[in-house]
Amino acid sequence: MAKIGVFVCHCGENIASMVDTAKLTATIADHPGVTVSSEYKYFCSDPGQETVKKAIRENGLTGVVVAACSPRMHEQTFRKACAEAGLNPYMLELANIREQCSWVHTDRDEATEKAIEITRSLVEKVKRNNDLKPISVPVTRRAMVIGGGVAGIQAAIDIASAGREVVLVEREPSIGGHMAQLSETFPTLDCSQCILTPRMVEALQHPNITMMTYSEVEEVDGYIGNFTVKVRRKARYVRMETCTGCGDCIQKCPVKKIPSDFECGLGNRTAIYTPFAQAVPNVPVIDRTRCTYFKNGKCKICQKTCQIDSIDFDQQDRIETVEVGAIVVATGFQVQNTAIYGEYGYGRYKDVVTGLHFERLASASGPTAGKILRPSDGKEPETVVFIQCAGSRDAAKGVKYCSKICCMYTAKHAMLYAHKVHHGNSQIFYMDIRAAGKGYDEFTRRAIEEDEAGYIRGRVSRVFEENGKLIVRGADTLLGRPVEVVADMVVLATAMVPQPDAKDFAKRIGIGYDEYGFFNEAHLKLRPVETATAGIYLCGACQSPKDIPDSVAQASAAAAKVLGLFSKEQLEREPVIASVTDATCAGCWGCVIACPYNAIDRKDITDRNGNVVKRVASVNPGLCQGCGTCVTFCRSNSIDLAGFTEKQIFAEVMAL
Amino acid sequence: MGIQEQYRKEAAELLSSGEVKLVIGYGEGSTAERRRPVFVRSAEYVSRLVLDGSCVANLSSYLVPEGLLSDGKKVAVFLKPDGIRSINILAAESQLDPEQVVILGFDIEGGQAAPLPGRKASDFTALIGSLKSAGLSPELQKDADRLEQMSASERFGYWKEQFSKCIKCYACRQVCPMCYCRRCIVDVNQPQWINTSSHTLGNFEWNIIRAFHLAGRCVSCGGCDRSCPVNIPLRLINHRMAKEALDTFGHYAGESAEQQPVLATFRQEDPETFIL
Repeated sequence: MAKIGVFVCHCGENIASMVDTAKLTATIADHPGVTVSSEYKYFCSDPGQETVKKAIRENGLTGVVVAACSPRMHEQTFRKACAEAGLNPYMLELANIREQCSWVHTDRDEATEKAIEITRSLVEKVKRNNDLKPISVPVTRRAMVIGGGVAGIQAAIDIASAGREVVLVEREPSIGGHMAQLSETFPTLDCSQCILTPRMVEALQHPNITMMTYSEVEEVDGYIGNFTVKVRRKARYVRMETCTGCGDCIQKCPVKKIPSDFECGLGNRTAIYTPFAQAVPNVPVIDRTRCTYFKNGKCKICQKTCQIDSIDFDQQDRIETVEVGAIVVATGFQVQNTAIYGEYGYGRYKDVVTGLHFERLASASGPTAGKILRPSDGKEPETVVFIQCAGSRDAAKGVKYCSKICCMYTAKHAMLYAHKVHHGNSQIFYMDIRAAGKGYDEFTRRAIEEDEAGYIRGRVSRVFEENGKLIVRGADTLLGRPVEVVADMVVLATAMVPQPDAKDFAKRIGIGYDEYGFFNEAHLKLRPVETATAGIYLCGACQSPKDIPDSVAQASAAAAKVLGLFSKEQLEREPVIASVTDATCAGCWGCVIACPYNAIDRKDITDRNGNVVKRVASVNPGLCQGCGTCVTFCRSNSIDLAGFTEKQIFAEVMAL
Repeated sequence: MGIQEQYRKEAAELLSSGEVKLVIGYGEGSTAERRRPVFVRSAEYVSRLVLDGSCVANLSSYLVPEGLLSDGKKVAVFLKPDGIRSINILAAESQLDPEQVVILGFDIEGGQAAPLPGRKASDFTALIGSLKSAGLSPELQKDADRLEQMSASERFGYWKEQFSKCIKCYACRQVCPMCYCRRCIVDVNQPQWINTSSHTLGNFEWNIIRAFHLAGRCVSCGGCDRSCPVNIPLRLINHRMAKEALDTFGHYAGESAEQQPVLATFRQEDPETFIL
């Protein structure tokens, strides 16, 4: 015989102001099977929970309905209270009379009637609830970090240093990401490579880190604690195991005039190359599309040059399968193609460059060895114009959001220019100066006050060439007049955009993304490094535009989440899973196809002699997430979901 | 030699050579226009087979009873293109192995049966492809258009009237090759989702659930229409669902034996117009 306790919560005024809780309590008290019906201001409070526990113990309740807020809010709270009072936690139901009733209605009588119906329906459900036990699944305590920029490196080192194995996957031949391209970093002007390369080497040499460079994640299967990841190891055509990184092959390669991506096209590379001198690992790759041997079948100079026979033209891409328990996505960003602004002349005039180009010009390891020389004729520019928001905060042509780092790096560029070209004149067109961050505003003030960067508030309408100079026309909105600056070089502060394949990648691994392609966090404020997919975490600029301090902080946060997950050998999972009735399953396998978690297998039913008499669907409890997709698909109604069985749902509906 | 003689001869050869254990075809019915299924297990009885313009039923439904194909032996069936599409769906849904089905294909043109070349379901892929591009049953389109032009409440009224006639005899289910479940959802009584008494609510529940279960699977063979003793135009509902599947997802039921169920699959390019 059911003995149900109903506990009606006022939620302060949230519920009580719109629902007549006294009437609700009294009405439900008369419902068949209800033993206790009481109301209280805050059942989620300590004394509130005590009341529930006491009622369970004293009346031997077989089920509990708390009429309060959404189960998202306090289901766990009351499940725990039930368990403490000796009742199976799954014998609790939350009747949502707040979000789905008091908050959305204006008529007290009608809202009260609705609250009674909702509560009654849950009483009928809970009468049909069964004791459920949590499912334990083992956790593979190895993490994968996808993306080897500064965020990925930091996350990998943090997890590895805490004693857990990490697989770091990077699609380029070397880790380092965009930070390796930068010259000096704001707000302290320390050399980017000087602070990054030690971390790159640390990651390479760390005993707990397995590095997979020149590799891409193809497919992610499984679920939190138990992911199976397929990684494409692209053919390097150089044997990683034996290559010493001497660089002889690069020296001898006859194809020398390939614009280097790392140098933003300002420098060249060979067909066999490492992206930069400090590459980690220091093993070159052969660019198949440019290599003479792959094109014409002749050359092999690199192979002849190599003294330890490390060149292998027969290498093939191969797929490696890795089992991991958690995934950190740190796939970074790209710089927007600024050719969308025809009026700025990017792509047409050699001396109109992006911020990233300028980083390479200012970098000691760059194509000009750190001298600021303009690309067209290699002369030192006397006047440089910087155009901020060249893409950001421009709903019409660029992107709506602020790229966050451009104000700071433009100030830095002006500063570096002043330090390197003492008589140089820099003019910066800006919309606002956004310098929120530790030491950031001081930094931009320094650029203005000590390094004499000229700031002009306004937009640029046009850049054009005249007598070998770049004429920059714009407006000074503070003085309310047009401005024209004759410049030798123009630097565009281009927008930070997601990787071009970000949306595809997100679909492949099963995480959400926003309208631009930045990956979605589970909650912007409270769960900023988790995704909606349990066990997959985010860090760095793949989530939103970020500078180095933010990326590194988020990377450590993601690492902390992974280590939290790895703190136990077993993971407790909700027992809300599907199961198949063998007798009625028609074996159409629609559920197998429909299941988004690949949790359904085919099972043979055999007679006593071992002959297969029938094949039916069978749910793997470790993989099932209880989403119910298979239940709705099954035409013969042969699948049921624990905790939400057809009988429960039917009783709920019929009570309305 | 007429098509009937030709196919009788082929059936006799298939049986006497032992290639098939059974031929499912049409025989004389209770009136001159009616045909009933006949099951011929020996070459001496092939003269019972009839093939003419009255042979409209989709005989593929006789292949799914449990155990018929479990011995791995082959069965030959007289099938029109709609029936061949049914074979593809049944194969895609693992209800039979298409290698076990020998197709004696024909179509009805100008009231006469005409032979179709091919023996295996896969031999008819090109034919089915051309049917897909020709669009869904043009003969149904007129009635379908009439329903489309009604307002939602008029249409509801129309179906309410039609369904009020239903006596829940389940003839539509019994004749349909897609209704192969060992236990139909209408027979579930714990809980009883579908009211089994024949009043309008229960009739609505039954007929609409059946329409959903046929979405992307119905080949418009018309079996349900013909078998309905109270003449509910059931084909029109299924036609509407087939149109939805074709227009929205490019899904034409029974294109191949590898086709995946339209309601269980997701492609990145699927329209998501229902997400606000």
